[in-house]
Amino acid sequence: MTEQIKKETRKIGLKDIPVAVVSPLKKAQSGLSALASLAKGMRLTFSYFRRPSKIVTQQYPENRATLKFPPRYRAMLKLIYEDNGYHRCTACGLCDKACPNGSIKVITRKGATTGRVELDRYIWRLDSCVMCNACVQACPFDALEMGHEFENAVYDRRLLVFNLNRYAGPPASVMLKAEESLRPAMTEKRDRYGGPVPLNGAQIPVVKPLTIQEGDL
Amino acid sequence: MDLIYTMTTSAAATDVITLADRASAAVDTNIWLSILYMVLALVSIGALTAVLGIVLIYAERKIAGHFQCRLGPMRVGPHGILQTVADTLKLLLKEDVVPASADKAMHFAAPLMSLMATVLVLGVIPYSPILQVTDVNIGILYVTAVSGLGVMGILLGGWSSNNKWSLVGGMRAAAQMISYEISATLSVLVMVLFASTLSLNGIVQSQESGWWIWRAHGTGLVAFVIFIIASTAEINRTPFDIPEGESELTGGFHTEYSGLRFAFFFLSEFINMFAASAIAATLFLGGWMPFYIEGFETFNKITSLLPPTLWFLGKTAFLIFIFMWFRWTFPRLRVDQLMRLEWKILLPIGFINLIAAAVIVLTKFYFFPV
Repeated sequence: MTEQIKKETRKIGLKDIPVAVVSPLKKAQSGLSALASLAKGMRLTFSYFRRPSKIVTQQYPENRATLKFPPRYRAMLKLIYEDNGYHRCTACGLCDKACPNGSIKVITRKGATTGRVELDRYIWRLDSCVMCNACVQACPFDALEMGHEFENAVYDRRLLVFNLNRYAGPPASVMLKAEESLRPAMTEKRDRYGGPVPLNGAQIPVVKPLTIQEGDL
Repeated sequence: MDLIYTMTTSAAATDVITLADRASAAVDTNIWLSILYMVLALVSIGALTAVLGIVLIYAERKIAGHFQCRLGPMRVGPHGILQTVADTLKLLLKEDVVPASADKAMHFAAPLMSLMATVLVLGVIPYSPILQVTDVNIGILYVTAVSGLGVMGILLGGWSSNNKWSLVGGMRAAAQMISYEISATLSVLVMVLFASTLSLNGIVQSQESGWWIWRAHGTGLVAFVIFIIASTAEINRTPFDIPEGESELTGGFHTEYSGLRFAFFFLSEFINMFAASAIAATLFLGGWMPFYIEGFETFNKITSLLPPTLWFLGKTAFLIFIFMWFRWTFPRLRVDQLMRLEWKILLPIGFINLIAAAVIVLTKFYFFPV
């Protein structure tokens, strides 16, 4: 801006109010740029209009099978299981500490064969979780992720507190070092609703538990 | 069909038969035939209003959806085509709430007045050479006058609701519509100058060798743009929808309206949009006149293969699409910006344009043969 805006005062009521004086050329220029920006907006909306592929609306629930999720969609917390069926959790408890409202409780035990601290139960409270992703970011081993299961309505709120881990035992890195024959003895199966959770193994005949994934129980 | 072809392709295109003509011709020989024509006119205008309401509201919602990466209504009927029917039923069944301190009579009359003003315009629009209720010889003046009545309905609605937001909305609507009426009329005058008639059918027939938008030496184009902007403001659509102004006035003049009365306001808004598009198409884009170029006989024959009604509907639909495109792209103007646009920008341009057109017509100073 090389051109100085002249300052003038105009009497409005009893006061002299400073008024910026803009040359007619400047006014015309700004008018033209306003028109150009309107045209730009119209071009954008029309480009959406003629490209149905850009539509984000999904016809839920008809499209349950083909639901598309945005890359950062956050719903059910999951422990990541490697192809060999072992998780990566070392039970360090950083997620437990990172959780802003205590929705995560990591219960550890001493491994029978290794003698080291390992995961016993990974208890997660869906009812109080705010899906803030802090646990996933805190995890140094990439053992956690936010899954996409969002149909989580249940008839009994006790069903919303459960174990995430399928087995109690060391993570994949330790398991793979151990001999194949020793591995079954190092792990112990963990029920989704067993242990120190409100349901504690009880059966509610009418009520179905939350989506049970493959390999659970 | 043959009738339409011969009418448009030959010099007999000037023979316009309106329903009013038929009724008055039959009055001496058969009074019942005459009455039948009048009833037919009433019924067809009523049916047109209903069909336009259903089609335009569905189109608006669908188009709005696609402009915003959405789908619009999808559930009622295939691709939601019965959505408007469902909405209408809902509005009919809803309780009609009238505020306790409202002016009952005016509160009742306002939506009717608003709807009446728009429906009356439909009577003089030439849909095709044989499809018009009546060809008033001051047609465009009549349209301007009658559509101006719509302001009364909105102002009455705002006043009689006894609600400060409604009143502010109504006052804004009145200020806005009266202001933009001037610009719209100025651009209409340009076309009247070139066509040298006020009859809408006369204006259509004057465009037989080309539409006024480009035959009027640039003044037509300027007038067209001004007319489109001004009529967007007159029919209260975004970016000029400050009378409604949801974010500041909770609905403006129709805040206190519910059920069928609200439906009337809503319907009149959409019929207004159709009327504005139809008038713009008639004045600037040749109405039902197919795309003709003088001297190119074969080309003219090909363009007149499409019946005039479809030409008219196509042009009107295009302009309606433009209005909807505006609505779903532009943000709402502030009140002072709205007034500045009219009185400081559109009005001077309109006057200059009118004077230029007058000079062109008077001195026959044509850059190329008209």
